Amino acid sequence: MSDNPYKDGRGNKDASIANPKGTGTLSAHPGTGAAMNTQNAFLIGDSMTGGYGNGPDILHDCTVAVDAGEIAVIVGPNGAGKSTAMKAVFGMLNVRQGSVRLDGEDITDLSPQDRVAKGMGFVPQTSNIFTSMTVEENLEMGAFIRRDDFRDTMAQVYDLFPILKEKRRQAAGELSGGQRQQVAVGRALMTRPKVLMLDEPTAGVSPIVMDELFDRIIEVARTGIPILMVEQNARQALEIADKGYVLVQGANAFTGTGKELLADPEVRKSFLGG
Amino acid sequence: MNETLKNTALFGLVAVLIIGTGFLQSWNSALFILNFGLISAIMALGVNLQWGFAGLFNVGIMGFVALGGLATVLVSMPPTTEAWAAGGVGVIVALLMGAATIVVTALVIKRMPAGWMRTVVILVLLIGGFFIYRALFDPSVARIEAINPASTGYLGGINPGGAAWGWMTLLAWPVGGLLAAGVAWIIGKTALGLRSDYLAIATLGIAEIIIAVLKNEDWLSRGVKNVIGLPRPAPYEVELQADPAFLDRAASLGMDPVTASTIWVKLVYAGLFTVVLVILFVLAQRALHSPWGRMMRAIRDNENASEAMGKDVTARHLQVFILGSAICGIAGAMMTTLDGQLTPGTYQPLRFTFLIWVMVIVGGSGNNLGAVLGGFLIWFLWVQVEPMGLFVMQLITSGMADGAPLKTHLIESAAHMRLLTMGLVLLLVLRFSPRGLIPER
Amino acid sequence: MDLLNAFVTLSNFVLIPAIAYGSQLALGALGVTLIYGILRFSNFAHGDTMAFGTMVTILFTWLFQSWGLSLGPVPTALLALPFGILGCMALLLFTDRVVYKFYREQKAKPVILVIVSLGVMFIMNGLVRFIIGPDDQRFSDGERFIVSVRTFREMTGLEEGLAIKTTQGITVITAVIVVAALFWFLNRTRTGKSMRAYSDNEDLALLSGINPERVVMITWLIVAALATVAGVLYGLDKSFKPFTYFQLLLPIFASAIVGGLGSPLGAIAGGFTIAFSEVMVTYAWKKVAGYALPESLAPDGLAQLLSTDYKFAVSFVILLIVLLFRPTGLFAGKSV
Repeated sequence: MSDNPYKDGRGNKDASIANPKGTGTLSAHPGTGAAMNTQNAFLIGDSMTGGYGNGPDILHDCTVAVDAGEIAVIVGPNGAGKSTAMKAVFGMLNVRQGSVRLDGEDITDLSPQDRVAKGMGFVPQTSNIFTSMTVEENLEMGAFIRRDDFRDTMAQVYDLFPILKEKRRQAAGELSGGQRQQVAVGRALMTRPKVLMLDEPTAGVSPIVMDELFDRIIEVARTGIPILMVEQNARQALEIADKGYVLVQGANAFTGTGKELLADPEVRKSFLGG
Repeated sequence: MNETLKNTALFGLVAVLIIGTGFLQSWNSALFILNFGLISAIMALGVNLQWGFAGLFNVGIMGFVALGGLATVLVSMPPTTEAWAAGGVGVIVALLMGAATIVVTALVIKRMPAGWMRTVVILVLLIGGFFIYRALFDPSVARIEAINPASTGYLGGINPGGAAWGWMTLLAWPVGGLLAAGVAWIIGKTALGLRSDYLAIATLGIAEIIIAVLKNEDWLSRGVKNVIGLPRPAPYEVELQADPAFLDRAASLGMDPVTASTIWVKLVYAGLFTVVLVILFVLAQRALHSPWGRMMRAIRDNENASEAMGKDVTARHLQVFILGSAICGIAGAMMTTLDGQLTPGTYQPLRFTFLIWVMVIVGGSGNNLGAVLGGFLIWFLWVQVEPMGLFVMQLITSGMADGAPLKTHLIESAAHMRLLTMGLVLLLVLRFSPRGLIPER
Repeated sequence: MDLLNAFVTLSNFVLIPAIAYGSQLALGALGVTLIYGILRFSNFAHGDTMAFGTMVTILFTWLFQSWGLSLGPVPTALLALPFGILGCMALLLFTDRVVYKFYREQKAKPVILVIVSLGVMFIMNGLVRFIIGPDDQRFSDGERFIVSVRTFREMTGLEEGLAIKTTQGITVITAVIVVAALFWFLNRTRTGKSMRAYSDNEDLALLSGINPERVVMITWLIVAALATVAGVLYGLDKSFKPFTYFQLLLPIFASAIVGGLGSPLGAIAGGFTIAFSEVMVTYAWKKVAGYALPESLAPDGLAQLLSTDYKFAVSFVILLIVLLFRPTGLFAGKSV
């Protein structure tokens, strides 16, 4: 007797009413049950496995992706490899398996600098501005690889971050934490990137500033730039996210839209504090 | 190749080089190289203690070496009684006065609350103290220097027996170490705990200042007039040549008395130096393998972690800095003893600071055996590159006509080959064997 | 009391020499500070770099003199200066290629680079002595004075004279031009800004697409120019001797640190601070005091604080004071 009532022939071996060749063993179990739908992904780090240098693997078959015009957020507990996944996508990690593709082009073997040239904008978590240089010079350095006139890009950045225009002649190191992050994002936008990657943009700023920063990030996304972002503040980040990736120990644990993840009881229990 | 074998081979090479010099050039120059090699090895040991054990970047070795030299003068020379009578007390009172000013100022800085009041008090103290010091100091110095300036004109040392008490000079060696340790304490107190480059600059500066003091404070060291004829622990050549027993022995060995006497004197020194080197080497080895040495290396490799484990990094650095400098001071005193004179004008940083660095790096930083090896090897090169350079130049210019300006220039400049060679050796070792010939274990 | 004469004496013996010396130190310290900022180590070979550049300039000066070329009242050395700079640039680029580049690629610790620079120092020192010898060389020609004591006295009718040596005038003018050009370059040009960016935050500079090798190369070129100019000006003003140039390392480092390592503005401030203190502390104030004070107060002695042999002590003491009370220097440099 098996649990499955449909598999119980009850000893009936009458070949005239039942085909003795029986049924095949091949059954369909496609996918993970949580389809990531990455075929449209604009930027994808696909099943990446790797670590720093020759060290042990930190990422295990980890996939993160962002679609055109969307915000994708990577969340997870401390030490889950969120920032590592981001660095892997940006080429700062030895990826031993898997691939990174930007707009359909495989960029797995490109150096970070070359990825910038390909249209990726990256804002590191720390020391992401030139503290001794003015805000405007920071933006100029962001546009270093551009040989054309970048004044209108700068104007756009100033439109997005009005406070920067006010403080353009001030040394970036003298600004407050939130303003520094705006400089950092602004600097990355100066190359007119096709995709923007933010590594914990709200780390170490006050809740009020955090809200403002999230607003700004949404505004940047509205200009049509897809954003891939690592966030410590999972709840807020998922609220604005079109797509969320929950990483645990360097592997994908949950994937879904921001709303789905917020609603998922298990995600809530483990990562969102109930 | 196994390690012991390799080390033995390296030291064997040094021995062959020195003995080879004896056969090819003369035994006198071979012993000259050996004696200075021993002193260099001691200096390298001291620097290795600082750099190899603790990662301290000391580029003021010359200053500590010179202090050792000064100690030799102060201990081994007979006092100039007239000079003491004329101004000895005045100078000492003035120096005490100066020291008191500094101590009081330091106390004020520590005790008084910061503010303009403190600044004013400090300024008044320093400026007032300076003028009182100069008022006491200058006349005494003038009186001292007026006493028989051609031969003395300085306070002299503390050796009541003069040349007859040559053994007093041996006392100068530890005194030289103490003197260097004292100065190292002052520098370490101010510069350690700041960034490493700052210690470098501070030591670079203090070395120049010490040399400047030796050159200019005639009452202390006769300045550029030099102190010559220091009493020595070894017998004098002239006495040996007058000693019938010695002449007999020389004759039995088939040597002429002059050569025999000079060689014998050098051998006596070599023996003394070897004893010092062995003692210091054993001490340094034991220090390296003691818990203290392990802690020093732990601090060097990860200062933050050691600090977090409750080690007082700055205090440990101060300790090792003082110890290393003291060893350099001892070596300096030994060198002045060997020279038999103090000539402040000959102290040059390239020779007394940076050359020692080459020795340590080439020998193997962090390894005492390596430092000793580097000391001998580099000193041998330093001495022999000059004749070798001359030889090479003669070879190169052999095709040129005699008296051609280029030829004269090249041959005259051959002496400067040694700096080039030292730089080249240093760079090559750093590039291809960055841990030195005998690496740290 | 005669304040006018006092001031003239002061200018003649303190202010003018100190300004000239300060300019030379500032130029030297700028080189040290640039290397520290971009390549991140203290370059012990800087004094000898200056000596090398100056030596090449002197050789060209002699060549031009033998051709009968001259600039009239201005020293021929100025004509030779560009060649000296080129020679120095070639040497530094060569050194970087064969020596420093390897350690950069290995990401060697800064202190290793410092030791490497010791090796380079030996070689450059040996090279200079080998080529031109260890002796004093005077290579200044042309008019000796812009204003001589005599003409000044005749002009003003004052008792005291004031002399401005041509070399002093040239030093100050050249220094102003060079410093202005350097600051314009660093603050206004794309390449200059990229150098500052690289010095500020190497990783971010790389992310921004700044080519580090290019930055390093340009730094060496600028350092070569600064070192040669500083060396030639010092040599014109005083005299050229390889060992003196090596010894200049101490006041130059002191200037760079006092001003704040890595800060160009600080290097200039530090240069003048050190120069003025050195000259003022070692100057015998008797004459100035004699004019400035009422007769009854005039000093009997020379009123010299320290003999000139202790000028190193002055830079050293100032250095110590700054380190103790403001470890990052007057203008906060990199406190790495």
